[in-house]
Amino acid sequence: MDIRKVKKLIELLEESGIAEIEIKEGEEAVRISRYPAGALPTMPAPVMPVVQAPAPAAAPQAAAEAPEEPAGHRVTSPMVGTYYEASAPGAAPFVQVGSEVQVGDTLCIIEAMKMMNQIESDVAGRVKAVLVGNGEAVEFGQPLFIIG
Amino acid sequence: MSGTPDLALLALLSDGRWHSGEALGQALGKSRAAVWKGISALRQLGVDIEAATGRGYRWAQPVELLDPERIRARLSSGTLSMLASLEVLASCDSTSARLQAAPAPEPGCIHACLAEYQTGGRGRRGRRWLSPPAAGLCLSVGWSFVQPPPGLAGLGLAAGVIALEAMEASGARGLSLKWPNDILGPGGGKLAGILVDLRGESGGPLAAVIGLGVNLSLPPALVDGLAAEANARLAGTPEALLAPAVPLRNELAARLLDGFAAGLDRFARSGFAAFADRWRGRDALSGQPVRVILPSGEWEGIARGIDADGALLLERDGELASVLAGDVSLRVRG
Repeated sequence: MDIRKVKKLIELLEESGIAEIEIKEGEEAVRISRYPAGALPTMPAPVMPVVQAPAPAAAPQAAAEAPEEPAGHRVTSPMVGTYYEASAPGAAPFVQVGSEVQVGDTLCIIEAMKMMNQIESDVAGRVKAVLVGNGEAVEFGQPLFIIG
Repeated sequence: MSGTPDLALLALLSDGRWHSGEALGQALGKSRAAVWKGISALRQLGVDIEAATGRGYRWAQPVELLDPERIRARLSSGTLSMLASLEVLASCDSTSARLQAAPAPEPGCIHACLAEYQTGGRGRRGRRWLSPPAAGLCLSVGWSFVQPPPGLAGLGLAAGVIALEAMEASGARGLSLKWPNDILGPGGGKLAGILVDLRGESGGPLAAVIGLGVNLSLPPALVDGLAAEANARLAGTPEALLAPAVPLRNELAARLLDGFAAGLDRFARSGFAAFADRWRGRDALSGQPVRVILPSGEWEGIARGIDADGALLLERDGELASVLAGDVSLRVRG
């Protein structure tokens, strides 16, 4: 298979938010996964945070995701937890819309069970959208940022 | 409040005897006025130093100061082979922040940092961890996971089990765990707190820093101060391992490092499964009515232990819900 085709597929995958893709072409097949085999972040998806009050929780979530997302690289949550934009209440957010980020820069903290998980950017670019609000519960795989 | 405590001065006083200001000054190469200033600063930070005319100064309930050589001498050979660095500082911002700022250790190795005094000790979300100089133990351990182990979410709970067992190996008794990982003393007060910082890309290598604060002795003034600090959200009064149960601090530090070295290695290979039952055996809240506080409100129910990932199981109206995320605190209803 043409290496350029594979590269294109990787780009496609990155843009889509799909975790894994498999393409067959004649006798050749290629499977591309965003995660090493067996190394999917281990926070299992079915474990939900304790039920939020249903009505108020649903509305802001929908509102946050409804507007058309700008094109770019999506950074998703590797775990179920609570999203924090800053290292401590009152501190400046790690990033805001318009911030320039480098690979390895901290974007936010996701907390679960007294573990503070610093989420690093895996791409360099400008933050085009922040998709969750400070203190909101996030699910595994939920998009957090668009970086382009 | 002044910054770095004068540990040389504290070391001279750690025999618990009376020392004249003049003798202290001579030993330190300082004036009596400078000694007095040093004493005042230590008192302000919460060290209980007596002063009496004609006798001088005395640290009535001294503790053993931390000493890297004494800690090393007590470590198991297994821990020594894994110990890439051991720092014992007089004072620092936060031992965890210091390890986070340094390069992560090679997989299979640990970095350890202890401080007699922290100027910026942290609890959750900007809450402070307060402790006078040399009164407790501020210890952080750095570790690298090549890839996330199964049940990574339970790392904080596993750290609680590891620390509790190490404290028992040092002679403490009657300890239990409050979800997710507070260590409670025999009276049900908070004896130690743990905060885990993780850093890395999802699915890739992960750097973990486990920060532990242990109360070994708390002067009454600090207890009052904590109670007044609304931010502290304490479940009851903080507790301390009081004499004669106070183990030697270097001994306790060594047992904790032994525990974390072996425990993190185990966690990297087996994940939380190796710790879940040990945690359950120490569950302070199982079967008790509790309140869970979330940003969206409070839930009341019965604590029913933890699931395989370490999530708290809460029974509400006959149904079990898993509490894994959210700004959760627990209070025993009373």
